[in-house]
Amino acid sequence: MLTPEQMSKVLIAGPKDALDSVIAELDSQRLFHIEDFVENDQEEYTGYKIGNPLAGAGDISKELLRLRSVTGAFSLQGEDLDPKARIRRSELAAQIEKELPRIEDEVESLLAKRSALENHQKEIEQKIEVLTPFADLRTDLSLLHGYRTLTIFAGTIAKKIDLGVPSEVYHSESKKGNFLVAAVPVEYRQEVERKLLDAQFQAVPIPDEPGPAKERISVYNVQREADRKDLEEISNQINALKSQHSEFLAACDELLSIEAEKAEVPLRFATTDHAFVAEGWVPTESLEGLVNGITKASGGKAYVTQLPVEEGKDLPPMEYHNVNFVKPSQFLIDVYSRPKYTELDPTLIVSIVFPIFFGLILGDVGYGALLLAMSLGLRMVIKGDDGRMLLDVLRNASIASIIFGFLFSEFLGFPIPGLHPVLPTRHLNIGGEAGGHGPAVPELMIMAIWIGIAYITLGRILGMINHARQDHGSHRVKAVLANLGWIMVMWGILLMIWSFFAMPLMPDLTGYPALVAGLSIPAIAGVVLILVGILLIARDSALEIVELPTILSHVLSFARLVGVGLSSVAIAMVVNFIAIGLIIEPQLEHLTIIGVILIIVGVFVFLLGHLFNAILGLLGGGLQSLRLNYVEFFTKFYKGGGRKYDPFGLKRRFTED
Amino acid sequence: MVGEELVGMTPEMIEASQAGMKALGAGLAVGLTGIGTGLAEMAIGSAAVGATAENKDVFGLVLLLTVIPETIVIFGLVVGLLLLF
Repeated sequence: MLTPEQMSKVLIAGPKDALDSVIAELDSQRLFHIEDFVENDQEEYTGYKIGNPLAGAGDISKELLRLRSVTGAFSLQGEDLDPKARIRRSELAAQIEKELPRIEDEVESLLAKRSALENHQKEIEQKIEVLTPFADLRTDLSLLHGYRTLTIFAGTIAKKIDLGVPSEVYHSESKKGNFLVAAVPVEYRQEVERKLLDAQFQAVPIPDEPGPAKERISVYNVQREADRKDLEEISNQINALKSQHSEFLAACDELLSIEAEKAEVPLRFATTDHAFVAEGWVPTESLEGLVNGITKASGGKAYVTQLPVEEGKDLPPMEYHNVNFVKPSQFLIDVYSRPKYTELDPTLIVSIVFPIFFGLILGDVGYGALLLAMSLGLRMVIKGDDGRMLLDVLRNASIASIIFGFLFSEFLGFPIPGLHPVLPTRHLNIGGEAGGHGPAVPELMIMAIWIGIAYITLGRILGMINHARQDHGSHRVKAVLANLGWIMVMWGILLMIWSFFAMPLMPDLTGYPALVAGLSIPAIAGVVLILVGILLIARDSALEIVELPTILSHVLSFARLVGVGLSSVAIAMVVNFIAIGLIIEPQLEHLTIIGVILIIVGVFVFLLGHLFNAILGLLGGGLQSLRLNYVEFFTKFYKGGGRKYDPFGLKRRFTED
Repeated sequence: MVGEELVGMTPEMIEASQAGMKALGAGLAVGLTGIGTGLAEMAIGSAAVGATAENKDVFGLVLLLTVIPETIVIFGLVVGLLLLF
């Protein structure tokens, strides 16, 4: 439970003619985590080289590339599909020969048509853009070209000017700026150019089109519309092909990906001219099955043996080893960092504690039920593995929220009638309705502090175990004792506080008589604990002493369980007060038509407010509980940074052998 | 001056004024620590988003770094609650 899946280091060796069958067996078993072979000066691998891909690898890759261009055009994601039935691989291979090229050709021709149309559309748009400034000019555009004695100027200009030479000028004014077309005899060209330059003239190209600009624009607009329709038609055809073939294409992708991976795996093996060697990791409990499978598949030619694990040099990959209930929480651990193989796996603890913290913060039957419905409803939409795990975490958390809702006796901020809260009450006195004495804040605070003390002590104990398992030599003892030192300092401080102040829900040690310097026996015990603890910490690393104040801040940090929770209750009660106390109830006394409308508004405020608060509660409760685990708990013992166990072979969803 | 003003107050008024001061104090405790947390998280958060964009694996670590200053506002909240109740 707290330890990962036990791994064994395995070596597979055999003649090259058994390579195919061994790879096929490894692929179908999906157990062998390959350690990539690196060519270096390792003594035992002298003379070995990285292997070559199997025959046909190039063809498979090319075929896969072509297929991916089609699935890319469809934006097809295998993950989003729910396969109805699995196709046998032999059957699929035959279909791939026959049907895949046909579909690919069809799609490729459609794609080619589409890109041609898109290019055409762009060209037309450019032409329209060039023509637009000339739209109001009635002249035939072909008349603006090809004169020997005339120069034509066309462009934008800052203001209307008088050219002062014999000329024919067209001038238009619009919001975008002034536009000028002028025909000037060639001999005045330089003079006019100077004048135009002073008037910030910017030339535009004169379109080479027959007829007036307005006519040409409407012609092009018709063409553009036709292109748009054609494009729509093509995208309809592509969509039709997608819905018809998506599952087949996903199956092809899977099959070809498997084949490509198999063909390229010798690149990770060590080979000579006639033999190959592969090193890797296998879960110990599956070792026997792998050995038998490979021996059988290769006809006894390949040899499998277990290698001794060298501590410090070999770092096995890490695979979680948890019961089903705990598995969704692995997602939360992976977000932080996967545990190292030698480290304790905290998933079990987090899977129990995270929902409890969430429930303590958002303990409300109504919100819990809402989030539970949401987590179940979203299962229809979210398909990926990670998404499912997150939804399962949310489901567990919302069930905890419902349970704590009963313990706090809360439903959307209302007390549940007839149910006395088991835990200290969180009901506030909002809206002036005298309802009891308000929340039992001191009791709630102390409860949170107790949780903090217990959780941090647990973290330090796990830290002791981790150091005992991972470290060696004198550092091991020091590190274990340093963790013990942290526990001693924390409890020492507690003893001191208890001996001076009496607090609810905590031991009262104030009654003992003072012995030395105003300190009673418990206080002296506290001082001794603190001093010995500091000594133990300093012996491991003197720098750690500056971290001592974190004892206080980390324990107090658990007060967020109360603080964030109370703010959520407060918002719920305010929503209730505004919607019911201020809007709905006064109308119910004298019912009028406007009153009915106001009541509807009140109901709307009620629903919107609680939805808003539920989302806030989800974010607040989720992030704060996660943070308490990540920051306050994990920092005491957990390092992470393990390698993920990633066995060779792809998961089959669409195909079967 | 102060004495003269107090003379004119009934015990109820003094009590109400004390309650008001408590509420003000609680509000200041939560509000000011909230600003402090916000300022601290501003820089960390933007750096964290940048780091995550470059390398997704650091998400867990930077989330942790981002929420560390939240303790400040929690302290404020604790003080505020203890003042009020």
